[in-house]
Amino acid sequence: MRVLKITVLAALLVMAASVAFAGPTYDRVMSNKVVRAGISNQGIPFGFIDDKNEWVGFDVDMATEIAKRLGAKLEKVVVNNNTRISFVQTNPPKVDMVLSNMTHKRVRDEKIDFSITYFFDGQKFLARKGKVKDAKDLANLKVGSMQGTTSIVNATNYLKKLGNANPKVIGYDGEVAMFEALRSGRVQAITTDSTILLGYAAKVPGQFELVGEFISDEPYGIGLPQDDSAWRDIINFTIQDMWKDGTYMTIYNKWFGPESAYPFPMTEKIEMWP
Amino acid sequence: MLKRYFEKVWVQNTTLLALAGLLFYYFAFIFEFKYDFNWAVFTTEGQYGHMGHLMLDGLNTTISITLYSAALALILGIVFGLARLSSFKPIYWFATCYVELFRNTPLLVQLFFWNFAFPYAFPEEIRFQLYEMDFEFWVATIGCGIFTGSFMAEIIRAGIQSIPKGLLEASYSSGLNFPQTLRKIILPLSFREIIPPLGSEFLNNMKNTSLAMTIGVAEVVWSMQEVLSLTYHTFESLIAATLIYLFLSLVIATILNLVNVKLKIMPRGHEPLNRKVADALFRPLGWIESGLEYIFWYFRKAPDASRTVSPFSRFMKMASKSAVLASKWLFVAGMFYVLYKVVMAVSAFNFQIIWANLPALLFWRFPGGDDTEFFMGLGGLAGALLMATLSIGGSFIVGLFVGMGRTSRNRVIRIPCTLYIELVRAIPLILVIFWFYTVVLDIVFKVELHAFWAATIAMTFFFAAYIAETVRGGIENIPPGQVEAAKASGLSYFQTMRKIVLPQALKQMLPALVGMFIAAFKDTSLAYIIGVMELTRAAYAINNRLMVYPFEIYTTIAVLYFLFSYIMSLYAKRLERKLSPENVRIEM
Repeated sequence: MRVLKITVLAALLVMAASVAFAGPTYDRVMSNKVVRAGISNQGIPFGFIDDKNEWVGFDVDMATEIAKRLGAKLEKVVVNNNTRISFVQTNPPKVDMVLSNMTHKRVRDEKIDFSITYFFDGQKFLARKGKVKDAKDLANLKVGSMQGTTSIVNATNYLKKLGNANPKVIGYDGEVAMFEALRSGRVQAITTDSTILLGYAAKVPGQFELVGEFISDEPYGIGLPQDDSAWRDIINFTIQDMWKDGTYMTIYNKWFGPESAYPFPMTEKIEMWP
Repeated sequence: MLKRYFEKVWVQNTTLLALAGLLFYYFAFIFEFKYDFNWAVFTTEGQYGHMGHLMLDGLNTTISITLYSAALALILGIVFGLARLSSFKPIYWFATCYVELFRNTPLLVQLFFWNFAFPYAFPEEIRFQLYEMDFEFWVATIGCGIFTGSFMAEIIRAGIQSIPKGLLEASYSSGLNFPQTLRKIILPLSFREIIPPLGSEFLNNMKNTSLAMTIGVAEVVWSMQEVLSLTYHTFESLIAATLIYLFLSLVIATILNLVNVKLKIMPRGHEPLNRKVADALFRPLGWIESGLEYIFWYFRKAPDASRTVSPFSRFMKMASKSAVLASKWLFVAGMFYVLYKVVMAVSAFNFQIIWANLPALLFWRFPGGDDTEFFMGLGGLAGALLMATLSIGGSFIVGLFVGMGRTSRNRVIRIPCTLYIELVRAIPLILVIFWFYTVVLDIVFKVELHAFWAATIAMTFFFAAYIAETVRGGIENIPPGQVEAAKASGLSYFQTMRKIVLPQALKQMLPALVGMFIAAFKDTSLAYIIGVMELTRAAYAINNRLMVYPFEIYTTIAVLYFLFSYIMSLYAKRLERKLSPENVRIEM
């Protein structure tokens, strides 16, 4: 029985494209010339599947550019809101970096490391046009959000602050289900990071609008394995290089520029070290 | 010498203990988890609330979905199981459609259909009212109920049909009428046939409720994921969820066992303890039965003394006859209406959308995918079929050995095999996939595999337990005389198995194996959860992009799943008929 299991596993090992090596990520990436990036495939416009069934998005472009600058081949791995932390947390990590519109939070930083902020976002509410005149109206609405994100917690606290002691916030499985819930009328508003809301609202132009102000800051960081400073440094330097030579803004404008489908003006600056 | 020593029970026990000790020692002291366990997450109030309470809420939801859906499934199962026996053809056709349709499509796709597409069949006001009433919870409950109901209907039909014709003829010729035959002959006998498989359907139903997670119902697996993504304690949350399911399965299995013990025919006065417990527990049911019996006796029809029929009773008879006829016509009319509606709805489909996306549904991006994707971007239906084939092939090999091990007389082999089978059968496949994808392959075996392989291995591991049970059943069906004869003519254990037992057992098992393949094919839809681009995930991605054609996309994949499963189930039925011993002609 055991022998059989071992044989099967050995056979699978041969079949598997990538074999894990323990050890610092930087050395492994540099020797294998393969960098694995965990990216969401349902977060418009960060990582999603387009009309040609291609996996595209801001995060995909960022990861491609980083891999190009490291001289490695990019291998994309699907992550979702529930797996994006654990994939870099395991030892050896399942992926070398996670670009999955993930907010850099202190609690998350206890488990994994983050790069410098590579995107600045904030949480907002999206509702049907004209339905919500004032932010206070939100308090008693049924609100949808995503399971496994801090958006649920933020929204619950915000609605409590607005005066509803027992707010109804439902956590759907991913962006698609959440937006579907708003579109079909299951909930009257949805809440998460504003760019994602814009991305989905652009699917059906003119029907939905953002309401209220930002209820939280959401600085996105690239999730990296804990305590691997050589790897973290090279990622940080790469992001800064991209900002310095303008590649970052090219990618940014492709997805969020004035002519794009999801205009979102850049107001901040990437942290630079001289 | 060693062999004879090994036949002693205490040697076997010590070996088992030693093995367990070694395993414990390995994982406790040698193996590097590189993971710090912190069970306090479930007992303390964290930044995002109390995780223990979250899990308990999940347990509460799981139990309520399980109970409601089981009740619904039982009702549907009885109604449609009897309808499948009806001699009135439209009812028979309707019931057959229900059973075949829901048995041959994955529950996940059904839930998606009910949740995402079905509400659009209503006008907006009704839809909004539906959403007011805890819609997702009821979709999950009713969806599970309808799904399980179709399986129960088949079990009930098969149970009633298993009554030998001779018994019925005997009962009619001794003067019993149909209700009496039903009560005294058919039901008591078919009950014995129906109850055990029906019980395991209840267990399956409990496990299937875990899929409610995918439509946002906060049951155990949902809570587990929430804990996992808020506290990042992968191990703790997985173990907690697994323990909850083991506990629930244990409770259901205990009840089922008691029922089975109660149903067994035993000599009076020599009942074992568990039979006594079962007797005591089921005594109230006995009282109800005798009460009903008395009521039936009290309201029995007086034997017709006179041949004259009063005009009133003749009128009543005529009225009831025409009422039956009218309701039959009404049923047929209703069915035509439903059919008309369905045809109209289907003809209003945007077939261009389906046609444009069909290649993606069948093959996903194959062969145009990147080289980093799985096998040039293979997925969709082809990916699902590949995964089902690989996992059933693998689990057949594993299951064969485990099944043989379970029938072994040696405890060192039997007990681990039994443990494996029972533990795996007690937890939902979705959890097994999680275990393999996040823990077993990564942390225990330290291998890095594509999600496709992780799902395939998880399914292999899962279905091996079911195949092992089938193998055991097949082996135990072989008459013991044959094994003794083989032994007496000097064959060793493995020779007996290879030359005598397994060929016959496997032949009997073939239909069951095809059935297992259908189940595996349907369950590939669960790989959706870890992002494998199989048929369901591909449909989800496409629907995500199109947004406005949920009916078209979900109906298409339901049809695809149905076609393949149904064709295979027809094949299984033909095999069964071909292989059944009555039809085997002995040629000299």
